[in-house]
Amino acid sequence: MKKLRVLLVDDEIMIREGFKRLFDWDAHDCEVVGEAADGMEALAKIDSLQPDIAIMDINIPIMNGLKVIQMSRLKHPDTAFVIVSGYDDFSYCREALRLQITDYILKPVNYEEFGTCIDNLKIALFQRQASQQDLFQEERAIHGLTRYLQEHLAEEISLSVLAEQFHLSAQYISQLFKSEIGVNFLAYLTNIRMERAKKLLLTTSLPIAQVSEQSGYGDYRVFTKVFKKSEGITPSQYRRDFLEKE
Amino acid sequence: MLRMEIALFLVLAFVAYIYFSAEKEQAVLHRTFAGLLVTALAHMVLDGITVYTVHHLETVPRFLNDAVHRLFLGSMVLVIYLFYQYIAILVEEETGKSRRLDWPARIFLVIAEMGNFLLPISYTVTPEGNYSSGPYMLVPYGAVAFYLLLCAGLLAVNRKQIDKKKKSVIGIALAIEFIVCVLQGLRHTWLISGMGITLMTLSFYLTLENPEALRSELMEQKMSMLYLKSQVNPHFLYNTLDTIRIQAQLNGDTKVADLLMRLVDFFRLSVKVDRPMVTLDDEMELLEAYTELMCYRYPELCCEYDIDPDLGGAQVPNFILQPIVENSLLHGLKNKGYRGRVTISAQRVGDGEMEICVRDTGGGFSSDVKAGIDEMLHSYAKQPPKLSGNSIGILNVQKRVKLLCGREYGLSYTENEAGGVTAHILLPLKEETK
Repeated sequence: MKKLRVLLVDDEIMIREGFKRLFDWDAHDCEVVGEAADGMEALAKIDSLQPDIAIMDINIPIMNGLKVIQMSRLKHPDTAFVIVSGYDDFSYCREALRLQITDYILKPVNYEEFGTCIDNLKIALFQRQASQQDLFQEERAIHGLTRYLQEHLAEEISLSVLAEQFHLSAQYISQLFKSEIGVNFLAYLTNIRMERAKKLLLTTSLPIAQVSEQSGYGDYRVFTKVFKKSEGITPSQYRRDFLEKE
Repeated sequence: MLRMEIALFLVLAFVAYIYFSAEKEQAVLHRTFAGLLVTALAHMVLDGITVYTVHHLETVPRFLNDAVHRLFLGSMVLVIYLFYQYIAILVEEETGKSRRLDWPARIFLVIAEMGNFLLPISYTVTPEGNYSSGPYMLVPYGAVAFYLLLCAGLLAVNRKQIDKKKKSVIGIALAIEFIVCVLQGLRHTWLISGMGITLMTLSFYLTLENPEALRSELMEQKMSMLYLKSQVNPHFLYNTLDTIRIQAQLNGDTKVADLLMRLVDFFRLSVKVDRPMVTLDDEMELLEAYTELMCYRYPELCCEYDIDPDLGGAQVPNFILQPIVENSLLHGLKNKGYRGRVTISAQRVGDGEMEICVRDTGGGFSSDVKAGIDEMLHSYAKQPPKLSGNSIGILNVQKRVKLLCGREYGLSYTENEAGGVTAHILLPLKEETK
């Protein structure tokens, strides 16, 4: 899997330095290919460098981050935009969602949690490719594995369960996830469980404990903790925020 | 005729009583108004006396009559001069331009008073009534006209910069005084100059100088100070703290970086929420940032949570948990060297109610303190609002819970068998109301 190319956009040099040096880009198969300190520079760099991921502050000089995304969206439909902002209010969130950004994270940035964000991005990329390729190509092993996970995520699943089911070694499966998707098995499993939980929270009115169970978490305390770590808010908050926006 | 003077005097005396018995700021403007009130009162007394003496020219000695008339007109000039001063200061405060007409105004005051006391005086007797006349009154009346014109001029020149309410007050007061002066000029026997002065004073008092108006202005100033303190600075503060955090982490100091991270979280959350009611989730987030910081500082301190997850969306008054927990730490656990545990739990109780408990393993109450706190929480309404002191936090929580949720809810303390105390907050169970 080729390395993802990242552009950093923030007007504060310390924030860019922090991203560059405190996050383990190598371990996540990424490399920082450029930086920009204002909106115009960001536009130019997106055009010239064609990054896979642009990490954007909203409040930057000359042209704000949302405007930059809006203007680059059409020319670079495959670039993933991640907004990093101290402006945790709804108007920005709503506008950002309209621009189909990939993720929205708040300052102060926790670099460990930022890894989850990159993992989610890779999984989304993989899923998009998978849906395009299915029609033309013969199915690859990884697709069988992910489909199985999707169908059985409410149950106890581990590498060894998968190994038994597919007659492969656990270690091989683990490597497969790393090489095909770029994330480890557990990160992938957590991601699809969270996606299921979010879907259940928004489309049903099941109590949290049942949502937790159907997403593969027997203990709702564990579920709440994992959910909060991945989404930044608790499951009930997530449900409410969505209802508020309606 | 004397009845009107007495009535006007009583009105002014009443205003003066309320004005001087209220607490207020001693700004130049208010000092001027105080001087104006006193002079106007003296003027009304002299007004009453002259109305009597001028109608008893045969019995009252001539020199006495002259003296009270000269004093009466002298005080009138002084009152109108103070009116001018008051308006000039008001205009200065509103526009920021310094007063340039003070010197001519003062010189005119001296000239008017000299003319008033030195020029000859005479009396006119008519069937409708008597009045004083002669050259002595020409200069004072000229001065009154001069000051009124000055005021009108000030108002006209600065009309764009003056607050609408103040502008209309000054305008109306001037119009009243002008009309009264014209009437007095046309009908010498009416003797109504005192009425104009009283009405002018009254209009200023009612709109600009009454205690309520002054108090709300003071409150506004205080509020804007609070706003500055709580809104603008924290944004700057937590952005800067975040930069420092990143620098610390770049230097390899993860411990400092972590601490700063939690501090930034705490500030961000406490600035974000400005509604009276928030969800329990929001409240818990703030509390967790706080307790994590405290546990960092005191490693033998431990905080535990047991929150029913379906209560996450329940509405609770904003910022009630942190003060209670802080209280447990400072009064319960501090004297044990911050060794111990605080357990925060929330669960449904009874029908449509929930209880949040903050249980500590601290030193507990000494016997008299428990009674004092119970009494304070019970008679919370009678407690004067405190801005500092020991129990301000819990008293504040009690007041807000009672106000926002109802009198049957609120805060109480019990003692644990194993030591320490438990704070119970009983709240109605309300989901978000839209």
